[in-house]
Amino acid sequence: MLFSSVTFLYAFLPIILLLYYLAPGVKAKNYVLLLGSLIFYFFGEPVYVLLLIFSSISDWLHSIYIEKHRGEKKAKAALISSIVINLAMLGFFKYTDFLIGTVNAILGTAIPKTGVPLPIGISFFTFQTMSYTIDVYRGRAHAQKNLGTMATFVCLFPQLIAGPIVRYVDVAAELEDRRHTLEGLALGIRRFAFGLGKKVLIANVMGELTQIFRDSGDKSVLFYWLYAVAYTLQIYFDFSGYSDMAIGLGSMFGFKFPENFNYPYISKSITEFWRRWHMTLGGWFRDYVYIPLGGNRTTKLKWLRNIAVVWILTGAWHGAEWNFVLWGVMFGVLLIIEKLWLGKALEKLPSFVSHIYVMFLVVISFVIFNAAGLKGVVSDIGGLFGAGGIPLVSSDAVYYLKSYAVPIVLAAIGSTPLPKLLYGKLSDAPGVVLEPVAVGALLILSTAFIINGSFNPFLYFRF
Amino acid sequence: MKKAKYIVTLAVFALLIFGFAAAQLILPDKDKSFTERRELAQAPSVTAKALFNREFSDDLEEYLLDQFPLREDFRLVNSAFRLYALRQKDTNGIWIRDGVVYKNETATNENQIAYAAKLYNSVIETYLDGCNVYYTVVPDKSYFVRDSGYPHIDYDRLFDIMKRGVDGAEYIDILDTLSVDKYYRTDTHWKQPDIFDTVKRLGDAMGVGEYLTPEGDYTAHTLTPFHGVYIQQAALPVSSDDLVYLTSEQTDSAVVSGPMYKYDTVYTPGLFDGMDGYDVFLGGTQPIIEIECPNARTDRELYIFRDSFGSSIVPLFTGAYSKITVIDLRYVASAYLSNYVTFTPGSDVLFLNSTLVLNTAMIMR
Repeated sequence: MLFSSVTFLYAFLPIILLLYYLAPGVKAKNYVLLLGSLIFYFFGEPVYVLLLIFSSISDWLHSIYIEKHRGEKKAKAALISSIVINLAMLGFFKYTDFLIGTVNAILGTAIPKTGVPLPIGISFFTFQTMSYTIDVYRGRAHAQKNLGTMATFVCLFPQLIAGPIVRYVDVAAELEDRRHTLEGLALGIRRFAFGLGKKVLIANVMGELTQIFRDSGDKSVLFYWLYAVAYTLQIYFDFSGYSDMAIGLGSMFGFKFPENFNYPYISKSITEFWRRWHMTLGGWFRDYVYIPLGGNRTTKLKWLRNIAVVWILTGAWHGAEWNFVLWGVMFGVLLIIEKLWLGKALEKLPSFVSHIYVMFLVVISFVIFNAAGLKGVVSDIGGLFGAGGIPLVSSDAVYYLKSYAVPIVLAAIGSTPLPKLLYGKLSDAPGVVLEPVAVGALLILSTAFIINGSFNPFLYFRF
Repeated sequence: MKKAKYIVTLAVFALLIFGFAAAQLILPDKDKSFTERRELAQAPSVTAKALFNREFSDDLEEYLLDQFPLREDFRLVNSAFRLYALRQKDTNGIWIRDGVVYKNETATNENQIAYAAKLYNSVIETYLDGCNVYYTVVPDKSYFVRDSGYPHIDYDRLFDIMKRGVDGAEYIDILDTLSVDKYYRTDTHWKQPDIFDTVKRLGDAMGVGEYLTPEGDYTAHTLTPFHGVYIQQAALPVSSDDLVYLTSEQTDSAVVSGPMYKYDTVYTPGLFDGMDGYDVFLGGTQPIIEIECPNARTDRELYIFRDSFGSSIVPLFTGAYSKITVIDLRYVASAYLSNYVTFTPGSDVLFLNSTLVLNTAMIMR
């Protein structure tokens, strides 16, 4: 079920909010959330809901065993078992066909692919459960004794399928006891409405343009760049809009989820970009891969190895195709270059120059990200620079540039803190009813866009 | 102050999500959307199979979308916001210029156009030995504003592929007989009272120009309002058209029949209030229709392979042909034609399809 679907907005959400606030006490509320979350997941993945339940039970059992045998070899064995199970699930569903395809391509074999569909959100919930058992092993979290509470954490629908990656320690206390305030509810509603608007009114409109580009037979250099910019905006508003909705829903239910984006497109270096983009994933790889490997407190060679490992994994996490790996490697290389040589120079450059440097590379990176495999990368990146003799300008490109100029400019401005600053000033003025009006207008406008069109995919669903 | 703001925010949100949820439950479901010319989705049945293969969740979303309260108003809000706030040049691929509504057709499907030419050749070779075969191409109205900067298919390429590809049929150029004002403002099609020049051009080319019913012998009948297909797709506040059909002694006496044809006249005004007002002409989509014209001025026969543009032009040939057979290859495969139609040698045959159909010609068989 998509947050930006009529089923969610006008059937699931009112029902679960009503039942949740009618339920007495946190325990009952947790069961409402658990049941609701299973129904939410069942609507999108009827069969794979069993996988979710299995994952909850498996990590619940493992963590209890780890805690019981803390300091013993058995604890380590249980941790390894838990990680292997999680990675095996992720590996089987996400990477089996990718590996088969790669082996076939290299060896010329014809091993048939499994064709098993990827369970929605598996990359998110396996990472969340892995972080849980690792944290229990490290003594940073106590094992959850109540299976229902554990399952509520794993299945919690606001962040289940597209993040942010919420670690157990982030919400452990709230799972046991949380306050429900008018402020939390109202701010959650505001965050949700703004996220919905980002997704439906901006990301989807940019998505239309990228689709038009793909369908057009009138490609040109200008059209390739228009597509690249549109996709760069689409992916940010799509993903950050989803995160906003998730954080807003969390707040409505008394949870405080971690932030996932902090205006990444205002960054002045790639290093800064990754401190602002998909922060919960970056934090996960830092705490559970990079630092355990030794981080930067090791020899230069091992440090480079650590960065390489993290960024290859980051790329592969985003998708089982070589273009995703290339995307990750590209960032790994850029980060190494910045850390070794370019970082200090960037600090001395005028802001607009370093900003152009970042956005140029980010746009290129998302063209790689959205390409259809490595062949697609060559074709799309080539198109940006006129490869294949395509014209500089085409009539379709000019038309769609004009047609989407206002949405692109609005989206570009919207990706900076400017609207938030302006909104803060206006909404704090006495007597101003901007906030309720904005929430109502965004909901109505988003509903109008949802009803009108069927172009509504979330890009991060399959990660 | 903050508390008041929070309460109002909560109230607005609750009013909207609970209000629309309740309205959706209370309001009766609609069967059809006349503006979109389609049946609306109805409440899906809950079965174990539908639940587990995701059919139920997909159908439920479709149902809730189709039956959403104030759905048409929401569609209008969407279109208005795109055109007037986002300053987009089209909405749902539909655009307006000087009060006329057009649809973007951007991709020139050369393989589909070539397929159309091959299909014509195949029909000619298989069935039309000894017949006088002609073909024409009806341009979409965007052809006449192709220099306006809006995306359009490559018309020159389309005509070129057809001219190079079709063998054994004479091309009749009707482009200069048409202009934007001869089409409905809100619909794809041409207006019957405005295509006499086109009819004359075709009639002259086929040698029956002098037998056509003169324009002055027709009586005009107006049906209103006619909401064309484009205005409905765009959900825009554009004024509707009038649909005018022309009757004469020849059209009144024509007897129409066909395997799927439920009426016996060339016009069925009762269909105006249905899904598509244009169905008034020859009953809308029909695979094969035979029209006997007892008051025709010749005893010649015409076979016309056509799309929906043919529906409104065919009645204007009832003065010149004693029998007209109307065939739509989108609804009857050419391989089965011999089961339904016997082609008389010496007859006239006209292929009349629009650029819209030729560009998606693989819908013809």
